[in-house]
Amino acid sequence: MIKRHSIKKIIKKTIIVSLILNVTLNAEADNENIYEHTCLPCHRYLPSSLGDMYMRYLKTFSGEATFKASLKAFLKEPLEQTSVMSDLFIDRFSVKDKSLLTDKQLDEAIDIYWNLYNVRNKLK
Amino acid sequence: MLVSKNKDINLLLSSEQSSLLRFLSLYAVLAIMILLLLGIFYYKSQEELMFSNQRIELSNYANEQVKELKLLHHYFPSRTEYPRSYNFNSAIYDIERVKIFSTLKNSDVNFDKEIYRIDNKIHFVKYLDDYYLGAKYLFLEVDEDDAWYAQTITNIIILGILTLIIMAIFGLVFVNILLRPMKNSIRLLDDFIKDTTHELNTPISAILANVEMMDTDVMVEKNKKKLHRINIAAKTVSHLYQDLTFLTLNHNQQSNNEWIDLKKLFEDRVEYFTILAGSKKITFTLDLNYSAIHMDLIKITRVIDNLISNAIKYNKRNGAITIVLRKEYFIIKDSGIGIEATKVSAIFERYSRFNSSEGGFGIGLNIVRSIIDEYGLKISVESVLGEGTDIRVDFLRASLGKGKSK
Repeated sequence: MIKRHSIKKIIKKTIIVSLILNVTLNAEADNENIYEHTCLPCHRYLPSSLGDMYMRYLKTFSGEATFKASLKAFLKEPLEQTSVMSDLFIDRFSVKDKSLLTDKQLDEAIDIYWNLYNVRNKLK
Repeated sequence: MLVSKNKDINLLLSSEQSSLLRFLSLYAVLAIMILLLLGIFYYKSQEELMFSNQRIELSNYANEQVKELKLLHHYFPSRTEYPRSYNFNSAIYDIERVKIFSTLKNSDVNFDKEIYRIDNKIHFVKYLDDYYLGAKYLFLEVDEDDAWYAQTITNIIILGILTLIIMAIFGLVFVNILLRPMKNSIRLLDDFIKDTTHELNTPISAILANVEMMDTDVMVEKNKKKLHRINIAAKTVSHLYQDLTFLTLNHNQQSNNEWIDLKKLFEDRVEYFTILAGSKKITFTLDLNYSAIHMDLIKITRVIDNLISNAIKYNKRNGAITIVLRKEYFIIKDSGIGIEATKVSAIFERYSRFNSSEGGFGIGLNIVRSIIDEYGLKISVESVLGEGTDIRVDFLRASLGKGKSK
């Protein structure tokens, strides 16, 4: 009986903590941009960084417009065939789920991504 | 040989000379155009040769640069320094032809040519299969070696001049072939006149001498008239003989220049032509001031005789001839049939007669023009059809003693 009561207490505490965390995280999300909010959380746990993936995309698609269009198309309809990642990577992590972002949000996120890793600004 | 050639050229009429000139101009333009085309082809082939030599070296440089770009791509962004070389400058452009990075001295790049020259630089383009750093186009730039250019231009100039000389020789040969039939026909006519002239001399002299010697006092009036006609006819033939002799014999001889009293000369020549003019009841009006000219007597006489003779020949019956002499010019004015404005420029051409009803060979005014040109005189013709012709001769330069001297 005591054990059951303790478990209930733990659940209650967990829910409360979760709610508090959720509220806190949502509050933080308002200050983050859409790229950091929607892309980074998942990619953070992948062995290939977003920087590496950027370079893969760049090596495949070259120009800014081509790069952005291809990435947007992939995010909306992710396929193994259109992925630039290696077979080994896809076997292990599979392709991502379809993005639920709107076109405008996708464009915004991709623009941020492009500007973040753009080689033109970094080459010396 | 040279004298002979000049004589040949002089044989040509001005219309034939202008045709010849047009042919030579056309030939020269065609020859120069062909040479220009050949020069351009030669230049392009030499440029292509230089490019093919450069292409091998630049391809090797490009491969090295691609390797460097691959490494940089792999280590980017921990390494961000663009690969540079002492041998060349380079630039990378993405698939949308937007510059990614460049060390080129001349940034005016052409994406459609593999290799090209621009402002003493050679640009070479390599198209990348893997877009390292996003680069689709890799441009390499090296300094151009000017030696081939100087050598090519020198060769073009030397070969061009040599070819032009050879083509000029061919042109002269062609012209000679083209003109030969024309020259032959003119020479034939001249030879005929020359031969005829020799045969005319003795009978004309005999006729004129005998006419002068005949005692007209014992003649009946009817015979006097006949003798008068014989005298006119003989003088007409004599005048023609003088022209022909001048044309065939005297024209190319040196002049014996002297100061000539033109007033006296005009009076003499008018007296000589009085009988001839009288046959058409033409009257002379003389307005002569004193003037002297430094010329060959025979030649100035030919000028005056021919002008007066024409003024008589192309005059109306009961017409008039006015001769005005001033210090620096003279004018011979007739009340004749006149000349059409379009034909005025052609009257000085040899064998040109603007009225076929009158006799003659059409050489008189040609002789006048040749003498006028020889002494740097100026002749001008004003004519109104049906009213008459004014011929004015200015002798400013001649009066200073210019012309061939003995």
